[in-house]
Amino acid sequence: MVAAQSTFLTTLLGSAPQRSTGMAWLDRVRAAALERANAAAVPSAREEEWRFTDLAPLARLSFQPRAQAAAPSTQAVAARLLPQAYARLVFVDGVFAEALSSLPSSAGVRVMALEQALRDEPALLEAQLARLGAYEHNVFTALNTAFLREAAVVVVDPGHAVSGPIHVLHLASGSAEPYAIYPRTLLVAGARSRCTLIEDFVALGEGAYFSAPLAEVSIAPDAAVSHIRLQREAASAFQIAAAFVEQARGSTYRLVHVALGARLSRLEVSVVHGATACETAIDGLAMIGARQLADTHTSVDHAHPEGRLRQTHRCVAGGAAHAVFNGKILVRDGAQRTDAAQSFRGLLLSERAQIDAKPQLEIFADDVKCAHGAAIGQLDAQALFYLRSRGLGEQQARNLLTYAFAAEVIERIAVPAVRSALARVVLERTREAA
Amino acid sequence: MSAVIQDLVNRPYEAGFVTPIEADVAPRGLSEETIRLISAKKREPDWLLEFRLQAYRHWLTMSEPKWPNVHYPPIDFQDIIYYAAPKPKKLKSMDEVDPELMRTFEKLGVPMNERAALAGVAVDVIFDSVSVATTYKQKLAEVGIIFCSISEAVASHPELVRKYLGSVVPPADNYYAALNSAVFTDGSFCFIPKGVKCPMDLSTYFRINTQDSGQFERTLIVAEEGAAVSYLEGCTAPKFDTNQLHAAVVELVALDHADIKYSTVQNWYAGDENGVGGIFNFVTKRGLCKGASSKISWTQVETGSAITWKYPSCVLLGDNSIGEFYSVALTNHRQQADTGTKMIHLGNNTRSRIISKGISAGHSNNSYRGLVKIGAKADNARNYSQCDSMLIGSRCGANTFPYIQVRNRSAQVEHEATTSKIGEDQLFYFASRGVGAEEAVSMIINGFCKDVFQQLPMEFAVEATKLLGLKLEGSVG
Amino acid sequence: MIRAGAPVLLDVRELEASIGDKPILKGVSLEVRAGEVHAIMGPNGSGKSTLAKLLSGHPAYSVTRGSVAYRGSDLLGLSPEARAQAGLFLGFQYPVEIPGVSNAQFLRLAYNSVQAARGAEELDPLEFDDLVREKLALVDMDPSFLERNVNEGFSGGEKKRNEILQMALLEPVLALLDETDSGLDIDALRVVAGGVNSLAGADNAIVLVTHYQRLLNYIEPDYVHVMEGGQIIKTGDKALALELEARGYDWVRAEFDAARAAA
Repeated sequence: MVAAQSTFLTTLLGSAPQRSTGMAWLDRVRAAALERANAAAVPSAREEEWRFTDLAPLARLSFQPRAQAAAPSTQAVAARLLPQAYARLVFVDGVFAEALSSLPSSAGVRVMALEQALRDEPALLEAQLARLGAYEHNVFTALNTAFLREAAVVVVDPGHAVSGPIHVLHLASGSAEPYAIYPRTLLVAGARSRCTLIEDFVALGEGAYFSAPLAEVSIAPDAAVSHIRLQREAASAFQIAAAFVEQARGSTYRLVHVALGARLSRLEVSVVHGATACETAIDGLAMIGARQLADTHTSVDHAHPEGRLRQTHRCVAGGAAHAVFNGKILVRDGAQRTDAAQSFRGLLLSERAQIDAKPQLEIFADDVKCAHGAAIGQLDAQALFYLRSRGLGEQQARNLLTYAFAAEVIERIAVPAVRSALARVVLERTREAA
Repeated sequence: MSAVIQDLVNRPYEAGFVTPIEADVAPRGLSEETIRLISAKKREPDWLLEFRLQAYRHWLTMSEPKWPNVHYPPIDFQDIIYYAAPKPKKLKSMDEVDPELMRTFEKLGVPMNERAALAGVAVDVIFDSVSVATTYKQKLAEVGIIFCSISEAVASHPELVRKYLGSVVPPADNYYAALNSAVFTDGSFCFIPKGVKCPMDLSTYFRINTQDSGQFERTLIVAEEGAAVSYLEGCTAPKFDTNQLHAAVVELVALDHADIKYSTVQNWYAGDENGVGGIFNFVTKRGLCKGASSKISWTQVETGSAITWKYPSCVLLGDNSIGEFYSVALTNHRQQADTGTKMIHLGNNTRSRIISKGISAGHSNNSYRGLVKIGAKADNARNYSQCDSMLIGSRCGANTFPYIQVRNRSAQVEHEATTSKIGEDQLFYFASRGVGAEEAVSMIINGFCKDVFQQLPMEFAVEATKLLGLKLEGSVG
Repeated sequence: MIRAGAPVLLDVRELEASIGDKPILKGVSLEVRAGEVHAIMGPNGSGKSTLAKLLSGHPAYSVTRGSVAYRGSDLLGLSPEARAQAGLFLGFQYPVEIPGVSNAQFLRLAYNSVQAARGAEELDPLEFDDLVREKLALVDMDPSFLERNVNEGFSGGEKKRNEILQMALLEPVLALLDETDSGLDIDALRVVAGGVNSLAGADNAIVLVTHYQRLLNYIEPDYVHVMEGGQIIKTGDKALALELEARGYDWVRAEFDAARAAA
């Protein structure tokens, strides 16, 4: 079926044909994804997966591929760097900025941009790149894959524990012309390895741009990956992101994701337990105001026995903002002794803000423990009263409680420097929203 | 899963028999002609024929909903008999009811005459599509309550029917509601005037009897200012091999300070253990809390039907109005149920409460689907939802799809869901204390469902408990 | 208390059993007479819990050889509930949680099922309430336990006390207590042991399955059996338990192997 295409898709797909990557297999994958994207349409609210998120504001706009990389001032960039990082890959408007990056070479771990990875690890890339990131049914995943030219690639050898976090920093220069970028990350964690990946999306200037990031995380047996994802895009930007995670036996995956920016953002997280005894923890925070929309879709597929999930998600919506959460827990036939718990809480700060939530359990095994809870409301009146009775002004008390509500997620971030920096941002946000 | 579990689930359907009563049957198929025939047979006024025809024309433009989590072969709407009435008989008392029909009720364990006399229940018997017996009508009439078949109400109180019919579920609301609006043959009408508390529970026993006759009941209950009524609906159906479509519409209207309690025990034929046969139950039930401080409470125990698609809902329009939904849905063998509720909060200080208990056994699939919507103007709305699932055996599915939409910051919405099981460990624990599997299952199930059973009128609660035990016999052990 | 001529309650002979294809018990023999307290000790995986569960009829195990007589008749043919009704009691190592069913409801149903089987009087909820409150004191439990769901949200110690409460109510002829001491702090251990001691009499018997000697400081056994590899490899009196505590299990195994090699 050829769907009627929006201005948005027509412009993106009408852009100049891609030059070859020099790898026949990669050209084939890109061509197949392009074909999917050409056949697809921008999802409408009539589709169950998009019923709360209206893409009409996006579909009306047209974005051009980024013609050339901007060169941000060193000063602007410096403030965004993380001194504690073991390695740093910086992309400016989707293009790898070697000069800003720091790629130490030590045994046990390789941190590379795509070009180098294709040179150094062609077999591994052919096996892993676009393996998890299914583009058949998702137009945004298809777009990312069709225009795949840049990527951050991290390979951790079996048994190796990376000494510090790996910082993948995406800077948006925010030029006047609306442009589209397709950030991509591939993390392959070997058996029993340990690593922390930070994906950091930051705007340096204002401007409308469209970003469709995609991350693929493959975790071998008994490995542990900590993944931190920070979305601080520009106020008029659109980010529609996906993360695909596959866990092998006994592995651990911990994700903390925070959405603060963008006019419209969406993150789809898909975790598959590919073997027994996988452990997953997902903690998310969306803190938005004005006319922002932040949509979080997570899906954890318990396909094997003894999996464990702990998930919390929190939304704070002020202004006329709209927060969406859809959290699916699937327990397949035979995934006995799965233990999954999910908690969602939403806080509405203003009259025009709105929150839509759909926690979702689909269970096909009997010996399981699954629970979810969802609560939407305003600040606890008793707690407010308590603080005021101790001398805090009403606004002060509200700010404190709002901050505490959000901070519960921020505190799950295992990298102290990132945690404290975000805590400051959240505190500022709390004051702004008030 | 051990043999005792298997056995418990595999009891045959006890209500499986056909009562040979002659029926006045319309030819198969649906067209404007069929609708005109139904309307003419029932000597309906023009406005009602027009209501039906408009619904039918709209239905033609609609398509079957695909979003429920149920799967079934396509329904041939031209292969259904849309009208079947028992030969007209004049009945002066319950004694004159067809003895065959009475025996049917006895086989079901519902001694209706006794029940009516002893329990003080007025039973408006819907047999196939037309009422054949109504009791206690006089007694109710004394306090001004109208309780009759909807056909009768169309003749005797056309202004009331015209005012409220379709006011809660518009003819174009959804595919099956449109179909029902076009072809409904009968159902119950109940009107409780201002200030009257109905002196007894009102009860209707529905039975589907003629093979292949689609059932399209229409129920309308109106409680005026300060009125109160408790209405009981119970269903069993004889065993047939071809699927039967059932698409009822129930509308409730509660004015200021009115209180309507609607309870259902549904045990229609669910098909055999391979999923052959069984009723398709596609029902639209909705209550409108139109007046301030009104209350509508739905309680349902759903154990039958091959497929259930049903969301008894409350539209909380009046300030301070209250909506409640208490549900037990049990599926076994190849049954599929997608059921739940919608609580639409529009007025200030509106409250709703949802307690849903799903029990899945065999190869069945049981989904809770619920919507809690707090409108932008509904200040201080409150909702609490609890959705629990119990799995018996490892071949069934239990799903929860709660939709929560909040547009007002003063709202407080809470949802909780859990799963549990009846497994060998629990049964062995009971056994090691001297308690057999059947008793153990019954105790666990009743414990699991007690928050819902508490809401049922006494006799219904007893019946429901028995029914669940019966339905699960053979499934645990 | 060992009495010559006391009736034999349990007679296990050459019992072999497996779970699936995996043999767990490899020829266990054990005789228990009225009035006696036996302790079965042994390292993890020795088969001692299996023996206790098998005797009470757990469906996971199948007997491949041997016999078990309870008060002179075959036990293995009986359903778990028939065994319980005949006076056999298993105190679980890990009592299951039963959501939705209150402890009071459960206890009364169990009590009445066993009473009915014995031809004794069943109690209505009020009468039963009096009885159960009296028994609660025995295990130092608060009456609020009765309103809570069976074992749901109970601490480890509460679960074990709940097991002993059931034992007190059902007044078993033969009680098999599987690791009743595990997970208990010293106070709870004292309470549980006190409960067990007060239920021991001349007409009934108790078999304790335990990993540690600690419990035996409070409940004095007449016999101590060491189980390993699915067999009872040594039997002695309470001094054996102390010796095991001091020396571990390896020497018993060595002694057993040496004896077998000699034979």
